[in-house]
Amino acid sequence: MNWLLRLYPTAWRHRYGEEFASVLQGQRLTVGLVVDVLGGAVDAWLHPQGQTMELEITKGETTMTNEMIARCAAGGPRISQRDQKMASAMMLLGALGMAVAYLVLTKLYHSAPAVQALGYAAMPAMYQFYVHGAYLRRRRIGTQLVVTGGALAFIYLITWGACEIAVRL
Amino acid sequence: MAKTPKENLELDDFGRFSEPALLILISLANGPKHGYSMIEDIETVAGVHLGPGTLYGAIARLEGHRLIEALKSDDRRNPYRLTALGERALRARLNAMMVVVRAGQRRLATA
Repeated sequence: MNWLLRLYPTAWRHRYGEEFASVLQGQRLTVGLVVDVLGGAVDAWLHPQGQTMELEITKGETTMTNEMIARCAAGGPRISQRDQKMASAMMLLGALGMAVAYLVLTKLYHSAPAVQALGYAAMPAMYQFYVHGAYLRRRRIGTQLVVTGGALAFIYLITWGACEIAVRL
Repeated sequence: MAKTPKENLELDDFGRFSEPALLILISLANGPKHGYSMIEDIETVAGVHLGPGTLYGAIARLEGHRLIEALKSDDRRNPYRLTALGERALRARLNAMMVVVRAGQRRLATA
């Protein structure tokens, strides 16, 4: 019956998969059970409950960080420490990549507005790289491409438009 | 009209999972339990059989709202326990239900 688990999002399976599978094993396969699990899977896709957060709350142990996160507004960011590190790495690598691209294009095309726009777009793009690393890595590749690619293209087009206007002023 | 305590509103955000969430809180009120134990306990106490999809939909919400928390376990079945916030939410919800029950009983008695 574990195939039913595949209907759930990756982050959800990561958090609840094992125990869910163990509960499933104790159930009789009925239409009602399949409908219940299907409903749960649809809900998990539509209303993710922050399963990427990997707080380790252990028996009788409350760390200061757990306490602080539990008390801060809206429960703090719903990302694990590993996600944060990955997001920071992606942000730095993204910025490095854009800096290299900017230097190469400047060498080839000098200070054309399209090249200048790349330099200006680097700052908001870094934020988008961070968001990608923190929140989008576990999403489907199509979602990643649309959200990150779309946001980067949008940022670049705005700065390019601004640069084109600026040289005509 | 009496103001509804904040804790009592927590469960109202759960939509169709409000009732399963309340049953889970009641089940955990006498100590930590893992998923399968909760299903059995709720069936015994309330006569309601929660499917795994419903159970974990409610558990995810309760955990997200910090009303329950997972305990570390070597077993792959994580037990859960009520948090202090969860206990307050449960008390507030049961008190609110009690007010309605008493009002209903009073009206029936005078009918």
